[in-house]
Amino acid sequence: MWKLNSKGGFTSLIIFTVLALAWIAGFASRLFAVIRFESIIHEFDPWFNYRATAYMVEHGFYNFLNWFDDRAWYPLGRIVGGTVYPGLMITSGSIHYILHLLNINVHIRDVCVFLAPIFSGLTAISTYLLTKELWSTGAGLFAACFIAIVPGYISRSVAGSYDNEGIAIFALQFTYYLWVKSVKSGSIFWSCMTALSYFYMVSAWGGYVFIINLIPLHVFVLILMGRYSNRLFISYTTFYILGLLLSMQIPFVGFQPIRTSEHMAASGVFALIVAVAALKYCQSVLTKSEFKTFFYFGVLAVASIVFLAVVVLTYAGYIAPWSGRFYSLWDVSYAKIHIPIIASVSEHQPTTWFSFFFDLHVLVPTFPAGLWYCIKNINDERVFVVLYALSAVYFAGVMVRLMLTLTPVVCILSGVAFSTLLDFYLRDNDTPRPNESDDEEEKAKTGGRRLYDKAGRVPKMKHEQVREPDGIGSNLRSFVLVVLVLLLMLFSVHCTWITSNAYSSPSVVLASYGNDGTRQILDDFREAYYWLWQNTQDDARIMSWWDYGYQIAGMANRTTLVDNNTWNNSHIALVGKAMSSNESAAYKIMTSLDVDYVLVIFGGVIGYSGDDINKFLWMVRIAEGEHPQEIRESDYFTEQGEFRVDAQGSPTLLNCLMYKLSYYRFGELRLDYRNPPGFDRTRNTIIGNKDFSLTYLEEAYTTEHWLVRIYRVKKPHEFNRPRIPVSSRIIKSQHFTSKKNSKRRKGTLKNKALVVKGKRPLKQS
Amino acid sequence: MFNLLILCALFINAYSLETVNKQIVNKNIERSIDLSSQLVKISATLTVENTGKESASNILILLEPKTKSNVSYISVKNSLKEELKLTEVEVQDHKSKQFYKVELSQSLQGGRTIVLTLEIVLTKSLIPYPSSISQKDRQLVRYFGSHYFYSPYNTLKQKTTVNLGSRNIESYTKLKPVSQLESTIVYGQYANVQPFSIDPMVIHYENNSPFLTVTSLKRLIEISHWGSIAIEENIDILHSGAKLKGPFSRYDYQRDVGSSHHSVKSYKTVLPAAAHSIYYRDSNGNISTSQVRVRKDWIELELRPRFPLFGGWRTSYTLGYSVPSYQYLFKTDKNQYLLHMRLLDHIFDDMQVDLLETKIVLPVGVSNVQLTTPYEVERLPDSLTYKYLDKKGRLVISLRKTNLVEHHIQDFEVVYEWPSSLLFHEPISLTFALYVLFLVIIIYVRLDFSLHEAKSEHVKTQ
Amino acid sequence: MARLDSVVSKFYKEYVTKTPKKLKIIDAYLFYILLTGIIQFVYCLLVGTFPFNSFLSGFISSVSSFILAVCLRLQVNPENKNEFYGISPERGFADFLFAHIVLHLVVMNFIG
Repeated sequence: MWKLNSKGGFTSLIIFTVLALAWIAGFASRLFAVIRFESIIHEFDPWFNYRATAYMVEHGFYNFLNWFDDRAWYPLGRIVGGTVYPGLMITSGSIHYILHLLNINVHIRDVCVFLAPIFSGLTAISTYLLTKELWSTGAGLFAACFIAIVPGYISRSVAGSYDNEGIAIFALQFTYYLWVKSVKSGSIFWSCMTALSYFYMVSAWGGYVFIINLIPLHVFVLILMGRYSNRLFISYTTFYILGLLLSMQIPFVGFQPIRTSEHMAASGVFALIVAVAALKYCQSVLTKSEFKTFFYFGVLAVASIVFLAVVVLTYAGYIAPWSGRFYSLWDVSYAKIHIPIIASVSEHQPTTWFSFFFDLHVLVPTFPAGLWYCIKNINDERVFVVLYALSAVYFAGVMVRLMLTLTPVVCILSGVAFSTLLDFYLRDNDTPRPNESDDEEEKAKTGGRRLYDKAGRVPKMKHEQVREPDGIGSNLRSFVLVVLVLLLMLFSVHCTWITSNAYSSPSVVLASYGNDGTRQILDDFREAYYWLWQNTQDDARIMSWWDYGYQIAGMANRTTLVDNNTWNNSHIALVGKAMSSNESAAYKIMTSLDVDYVLVIFGGVIGYSGDDINKFLWMVRIAEGEHPQEIRESDYFTEQGEFRVDAQGSPTLLNCLMYKLSYYRFGELRLDYRNPPGFDRTRNTIIGNKDFSLTYLEEAYTTEHWLVRIYRVKKPHEFNRPRIPVSSRIIKSQHFTSKKNSKRRKGTLKNKALVVKGKRPLKQS
Repeated sequence: MFNLLILCALFINAYSLETVNKQIVNKNIERSIDLSSQLVKISATLTVENTGKESASNILILLEPKTKSNVSYISVKNSLKEELKLTEVEVQDHKSKQFYKVELSQSLQGGRTIVLTLEIVLTKSLIPYPSSISQKDRQLVRYFGSHYFYSPYNTLKQKTTVNLGSRNIESYTKLKPVSQLESTIVYGQYANVQPFSIDPMVIHYENNSPFLTVTSLKRLIEISHWGSIAIEENIDILHSGAKLKGPFSRYDYQRDVGSSHHSVKSYKTVLPAAAHSIYYRDSNGNISTSQVRVRKDWIELELRPRFPLFGGWRTSYTLGYSVPSYQYLFKTDKNQYLLHMRLLDHIFDDMQVDLLETKIVLPVGVSNVQLTTPYEVERLPDSLTYKYLDKKGRLVISLRKTNLVEHHIQDFEVVYEWPSSLLFHEPISLTFALYVLFLVIIIYVRLDFSLHEAKSEHVKTQ
Repeated sequence: MARLDSVVSKFYKEYVTKTPKKLKIIDAYLFYILLTGIIQFVYCLLVGTFPFNSFLSGFISSVSSFILAVCLRLQVNPENKNEFYGISPERGFADFLFAHIVLHLVVMNFIG
């Protein structure tokens, strides 16, 4: 008794150690960015999340829910509390709150920066739990170690990448774990927990729709396979009805769960399972032959009634049809044609084969093996993981971004594959001993070691253990083991390399490396944003392309016209139109929108490819979608259909606002002696229109490497003026003073302004 | 007559109103005005004679009209370089004028002379004119002063030297005799100037030295008895020179490098030699453009704001560092400690600070706190703050002063009592908390087992 | 039709004789919940769903009470004992209470 207990203790110690190591390794490998740069929020969306969190910490939760942000989407504003998934903010806000209760004065920024790495550990643990439920402890440990370091997940959870996905993957895995658990046990308690975990997921990420479709799918397939059980009934109905109610508590979700098509599958399956349960109950009373007719007829009737009801309600307008993003999931080319704004985001592009390998590496080939094992030894839970795998593979193929949902299941199934392989090749060695725990030990060891790139000792141990018994195939066995361990080593090296090279740059701070290896930090973004914060009026309105909206709000604390929320396409199109029109047409739009400053990103000096000129065609396309009369994409191409900024470029392009703002006075700048002045390093050409001046705008600030250029929109009285004869100067000052105390002399002022200035004041008034 | 005077004097003294002692005469005044930086630094050597019979224990110093709010620092030293006590006083019949009373270390006997050195630093007294300029223009400023040394006493002879630091002088008032050589203007010598006589002096010249005003400096000093003192300064800076008019062109800015320009690209801050873990950041994170140079007796920090500062532009940042406590914290007695630190520290040369707020965070559990400051400061109400795992708060002393210059970089002293046993209070409580945590886990695990068994028994009985 | 008739009568007889008393109590409760649900639904058809969240929370709460009671019935039913290994009726009832606490907290929040 005592012995067995200690054995169990030893096993749990190993499990605990491996999970702790996975957590630490996952945490540590996400810190590249912090160590190389600093503790800073990355990218674009995280800046909004950070700003919202800081607002919540400062003003309290209820004020946050009612927050109307008048600094975004000028002049419309944005109701932040109702248009955001608050789970992320609440999570980090409550961590911050608890720490402050203990008087640990951590800045909220640091909580935000390190939230995703910490949650990656929790993800590893919930993946372990899920895989353990599905297969075995060993497979669970493998899966936990995989998910801790797999690049596909790291890409969204490095320190500083403070985004919904960081915590949502944990919530996703945990919900699935609880679901599998509740299906297994048929306990109301577990399905309640599933619903609560689902609630957390809903509050955290829009991807909750994946859960609410996958679980019903699982139930549906189980029913079709004839695997209906009372356990399934209990777990699904309880989960569904509680989850439905809970999900409606999130203001952003609102009544969507009963009104939109995305959620209808779940309610359909709910109706179906209730019907099936009723039939089953009848079955317990009726004879078999009576029942069979009843059953098939009933199932068919219910399914078709539900389907018809959904269709009818959709047409009647009670249920919203599927949103554009969902259509683009089914039809890859849908977005390109109908919604350029979705297509313009790079992470909504279809995935390439390369990026599968890049993000998953050795897991790509092993994952089908795990899938095969699961299908071979099918049971209720494994049906779930099979469905999960298949749907996730499909979605990941459609959109790069959804690689994230694929990654966990790939880790699970690869864990299954590896564990089964090792099981198979290690089993014969220790016949007298109890199999289970020892196998786990081995797996745990390999799992734990592998995290540290120093798996050198592990294969040796394998050799010794394998060689001891003299059996046929021991050579083969050891060979397979060595190959497996090598694969794992390669995998961990690959993960570390990818993480450090591809996913660990904050994108707010750029780094360039000189010939001698010295690193130079290009901090132009923050330079410009900080300039805006310090040196413009508090209510200044900044026009820029929507990519930079969140950053301007977060780092410059100024009002923006459009931002990364992209909820109002026509507003974005208006900005796109201003950018793609010529200066005077743009000035009209800008005055109608009360723009004070215009901000453009220009990479021509340092060769930064993600600048506004390279994004410019999207602006044109989006503007064309709303204003097809004024803006035509074809005007911006040359006759050969090329998009070029050099002398052969189309005149519309060379005179539009974006071109002028990007290249203002760039034609005089000589970057080095090999190239003539005005040589654009990003596009490797000499710009076409070098010598021009701005009438309606003036350069307000340009950063050190010209990466961010800010222009001030002149007020109507500041331009179009004859050249400073002394007499007119007096008139100007008179006009100016009279304008200031205009209350008293309104009538005379108007007359005067009209006489002196002609057109412009009229327009302004 | 004399008796009456004495009575009068007594009477006036009782109401703390001074009178001007007519017997005192300024025999000679050598004044030099340094206008080469953004500050106006006036130093004058006064040779004062008591022509009367009565010995005088104090003399009066008079400020020029309308400079009261600009005076940041004033001091009078005698020939032994000892600083003399200065108090603001009101003088009968001259109530609108601003007087300082200098208490002499030895009263001045009749017929004797004394040599005093007066030093005044004025801030915000160089007015940019024109008040806004474009990027290429030079920055011109005007100084308004008086040709005569403003004094309540008769002055026999005086001379003023003005150092401008630049040869480009637009114009200056010419009260003869006057001479100009390169960047220096010499006024005088003027003889027999009556008391309270003023003659406006205006100098319009080019001054490209950095016009930077620290609009607010919040200094936080945190003492830890674990061996280091953390200092954090939150600094708001405004370029208070001529405002930038029209566009800022990066192209032009990059082209004219090197030459003295009215914009400020970087400046140097001097930190104590023992400073370590220095950070320089703002609300958007680390500012990567700074350089640390270790000199022999100090650390020189070249700070470059994120963007060059032009007239009217502002920026703010946080600078923090730690110093080992043994250099500043002394144990004077059992459980009694003396902290000896700077109230204000160097930010850049010729700095001017509009508002200083220094907060001193003392360790947990101090008592009998006594504070000595080198000059008069406003003491704000004490507060409490909580740091890592504090249960009791830490006492925070807050001090505040407006209008400071480099001359105010002086030390304050805090004496407090603190039982050293408190040092281990937090580690022990942390250990205890962890212990309790593990205990709870152990109990929980046991409890789980018992619950399970109980349940199975329950099922069996059914 | 006659077959259906016989089926129903057989069903009724079976129910009366074979179902334990505990389950009958639950069935009565189920019937009551069903009635409240129907009343609410009729009300919404007649009067309208104006405070939509209130209607929803009321209706969903009765639906979920029904569902939870059905679940409880399934777990308590001795015929299903081997299917719910490790879930005693007491455990089932505790779970049922837990689910109801969650449910009604949310409903109270939602009803506004």
